Amino acid sequence: MNHHLKVLVKKVLGTDIAERNFAIFPDDTFLVSYPRSGNTWTRFLIANLVYPNVDVSFKNIECLIPDTSSQSSRVLRRTPRPRIIKTHEYFDHRCNKIVCIVRDPRDVVLSYFDFQRKYRHIQDGYPMVNYVNDFVSGNLNSKDWGTWGENVASWYYTRGKTKNFLLLRYEDMIQDPVRELARTAAFLGIECDPARIEQAVQRSSADKMREMEKRESKDWVATKKHRQDIPFVRVAKSGGWKEKLAPECVAQIESAWGELMVALGYELVSTTTGGKVSTLLQTRIEKVEVL
Amino acid sequence: MIGKLSASARYLLGRGPAGRNLHTFPDDTFVVSYPKSGNTWARFLVASLLHNQAPMTFLRADELIPSVDFRPNKYFKSLPRPRVIKSHYPFDQNYKRVIYIVRDPKDVAVSQYHYQIKRKVLQDQHPIDEWVTRFVAGETCPYGSWGENVGSWLAARSGNPGFLLIRYEDMIRQTDAELIKIASFLGMTPSAQQIEYAVSQSTADRMRKLEQEEAGQWDSTKDTRKDMFFVRNAKIGEGRVALSAASISRIDSAWGPLMRWLGYETDSEVQPTKVPPTKELNFLETILEQQAR
Repeated sequence: MNHHLKVLVKKVLGTDIAERNFAIFPDDTFLVSYPRSGNTWTRFLIANLVYPNVDVSFKNIECLIPDTSSQSSRVLRRTPRPRIIKTHEYFDHRCNKIVCIVRDPRDVVLSYFDFQRKYRHIQDGYPMVNYVNDFVSGNLNSKDWGTWGENVASWYYTRGKTKNFLLLRYEDMIQDPVRELARTAAFLGIECDPARIEQAVQRSSADKMREMEKRESKDWVATKKHRQDIPFVRVAKSGGWKEKLAPECVAQIESAWGELMVALGYELVSTTTGGKVSTLLQTRIEKVEVL
Repeated sequence: MIGKLSASARYLLGRGPAGRNLHTFPDDTFVVSYPKSGNTWARFLVASLLHNQAPMTFLRADELIPSVDFRPNKYFKSLPRPRVIKSHYPFDQNYKRVIYIVRDPKDVAVSQYHYQIKRKVLQDQHPIDEWVTRFVAGETCPYGSWGENVGSWLAARSGNPGFLLIRYEDMIRQTDAELIKIASFLGMTPSAQQIEYAVSQSTADRMRKLEQEEAGQWDSTKDTRKDMFFVRNAKIGEGRVALSAASISRIDSAWGPLMRWLGYETDSEVQPTKVPPTKELNFLETILEQQAR
């Protein structure tokens, strides 16, 4: 009952975590991504771009670009409009303007593995083969964001080609952050002189973010209660899977989501064909006769 | 504040509709569709297959296969497992086993238009072209647009063994065969008599008669106009007749690739220049091309 009372009080005060239960406005912009795909970096880039006079850090990022999985519906309600909101939720049709960040799932899995060690969801010695299996089959011991494929496909195939949708690939951001942030600025309707973009990129560099994390990891909601010996800001590189991921793990990921990966421009290396086609071919769809 | 307090209290006591906050189990099966796509009919069929001790009615079907938007979590908790549950939501990762019913959006548009007149959301003679514009934009119901709803499920789950796609049009043409597919997805091997019984319980004629008796008590009809039926014409292809060329083309250009993949005719097949080839849903498109071979 005590627990129930707590839930009731939180609901009434609006201090319960927002998740999908908060009011969305047509002028909101959402930064959506599966976890470990560069969302935090993008948040910093955009926050530094939008607020050039603010010293953006882990201490104030939740006020500038709140996260639906750590902030309450009250915080979201009190964020001045037009809001920019970060979320890992899969498709929500109420969202209008969307910046969707995707990253090669073969790298995502490596990053998520370290993150879940940091969060003590898994032990240090947990076998990567098992982890990849959990990752592909949707059995990760974390909040249910859907699988990588479900999460990304649910956004991409509903909104991917609409004018209010901007797709950012983490790999492109690593390669040329200035170019990608300029695209983002144009999408957000921010008048951009190149110096301001350059400055935002510098202020959000991996080195700067690592320094900030060292100073502030005890203050930030996403890191304060977790292992301090594993950093949140990791290698900030793309393609690590080529060295670190066993071929059978690569094959498993590619056979689960090959089609979607190709659609997003991620080249497949294993010989197995992308999973979905072969299974779907079994259900033959005939044309409906019009009467 | 008082509104919030009572909403919170209802939620806490388990009295508010479960909606997106339904507590699910991995063995739940969801009958999901965009509204006006044959969900009620599918529920009648499934309910009469699973529970053939007494004739099926709207109220009974609603108790046996309840809707996430009408019943509270408390009710769902009281159901014996494995449960069968009805929903109209776009992709929800908590639904592990899904029977997804899809229907030609042109026909869905006409059906939803009439239902909104029945529900007094629209006036008689409301210009249907104006309404179709809002239908395409996803502004006529709280479950996204037709393309978003169907697309989110297909993109996330097609090919998954826990996902069964059923077309309304196939249910009309070969009800028995489609019901057998559904039954086997539910782990059943029904006899020919069981299938025949379930189909006979769920004919449009029988459902219309029942509707006249139950309309006053059933959630989906009780506060609506009684001079119109919920169970309407139950046919294929009405959209082509009832909608203007402009409306049809609006629907085609919004969801052409997805419609063609599902086997629904679009104008662009007749006039290929009208809708330019799009990369949208290209993995689904690939499958279609492969099937055509």
